[in-house]
Amino acid sequence: MSISDNQKQILSLLADGQFHSGTELSDILGVSRSAIWKHMQFLASVGLPYSAVSGKGYRLEKPLELLAAHKIDQILNNQAKSLISSLEIHQQIDSTNRYLSERAQNHAPSGSICLAEHQTAGKGRRGRQWVSPFGSNIYLSILWRFQQGPAGISGLSLAIGVAVIRALKIYGIDSLGLKWPNDIYSLGKKFGGILVEVSGETGGPCVAVIGLGLNMYLPESEAEGITQAWTDLNKITGRNDLARNKLAGLLLNELMPIIAEFESLGIKAYLDEWRDYDCLKQKAATLYIANQPFDGIVQGIDDNGMLLIKRPDGSVQTFASGEVSFNDSLS
Amino acid sequence: MDIRKIKKLIEIIEESDIAELEIKEGEESIRINRYSAAPATVTYAAAPAPVVAPSNTTAEKPAEEKINGHIVKSPMVGTFYRSASPGTRVFVEVGQSVSVGETLCIIEAMKILNQIESDKSGTVTKILVENAQPVEYGQPLFIIE
Repeated sequence: MSISDNQKQILSLLADGQFHSGTELSDILGVSRSAIWKHMQFLASVGLPYSAVSGKGYRLEKPLELLAAHKIDQILNNQAKSLISSLEIHQQIDSTNRYLSERAQNHAPSGSICLAEHQTAGKGRRGRQWVSPFGSNIYLSILWRFQQGPAGISGLSLAIGVAVIRALKIYGIDSLGLKWPNDIYSLGKKFGGILVEVSGETGGPCVAVIGLGLNMYLPESEAEGITQAWTDLNKITGRNDLARNKLAGLLLNELMPIIAEFESLGIKAYLDEWRDYDCLKQKAATLYIANQPFDGIVQGIDDNGMLLIKRPDGSVQTFASGEVSFNDSLS
Repeated sequence: MDIRKIKKLIEIIEESDIAELEIKEGEESIRINRYSAAPATVTYAAAPAPVVAPSNTTAEKPAEEKINGHIVKSPMVGTFYRSASPGTRVFVEVGQSVSVGETLCIIEAMKILNQIESDKSGTVTKILVENAQPVEYGQPLFIIE
């Protein structure tokens, strides 16, 4: 089910986080009060909890800043603007990555951007779900075409992590960390994930869809299914009036040049910065490939971005993939 | 011993430099020698009659003669996946015909999921790596004839 025009109008009225009576809403929209109630039920189902108080009306749990292309545009610098070929904002979509992968098959150019208010099938790694309620987080995908094939963009995922950290710092967030290869952490809890999907010829041109999910405000009711320690910017900063369009713009300012220059600069240009934010280094951790565990002490990353783990027998093994879990909680 | 298991063992031998392999599993044992003239045999400790492996196996021939088809190699170090996500259909099965550009598998490296496309049209005759296993650069993944 997609968001109707009436529902969008209700949202724009309730976005201020103040009470609005059912009568006021039904007058403005020209529909019955029971129709308003049904719309509110729907909005709650897509991740917008509200309170209804008799005599006062409806109020969203938290003020809302809906995505707006012109507000993002105000933040974008000239370099980012020159690298963006199109910027689409969807009210509701299955997955921004899935959408751009489809657009890629229809010859969409580098710099095609897709943002969404709500994902009904937000993608995590290997079939996992990225919890994507309406209107409070960043779901952003970028399409880019590379000439050298998948081997030529090895390590891009780590550089993307660096770009996200840069943007968050400019936005005023401290206490940031990267968990190999590119989970975005703060104080031991994850609040951002990056998924890069590449297709094309192995030795020739390929197309990458780079997806970023960043929790700004995740209602507890939505987060029930998350199996790892999570947080959001609302918890990190203690503020509930975070500017979402500004963050989207700052992210694009940092992401676009790193993506565009990656084939010529490679991961080398970002290794030092990545290492500054490494929150696994010297920690006891276990890496799983399929169900096979490899435990040891993480030694950081090598110059190709691969994870180094010192095994109990003293040898240091290099890993290109696998799922890492901490043996102790992070500080 | 399951005939599929024997076939698998022969495949493993073919892809390796091992000259001879002997495996004991309970009362069964198998010895495969790639360079001897004798066919691979399965012997049962309890039963004297040896079971001859199917004649279409080619374990005794040198490896390079057997690969007639086109080898699709891994373009990178990573983890090999046969489907888009766990529980979904595999991209290709042995015996399936594929055309150029069709996705054969995904190799994940540093959380980049690379769809590996076929660079040859034909029939997939062998899948040389198990799902979710690590692969090296240049490692043969598929044979297409």
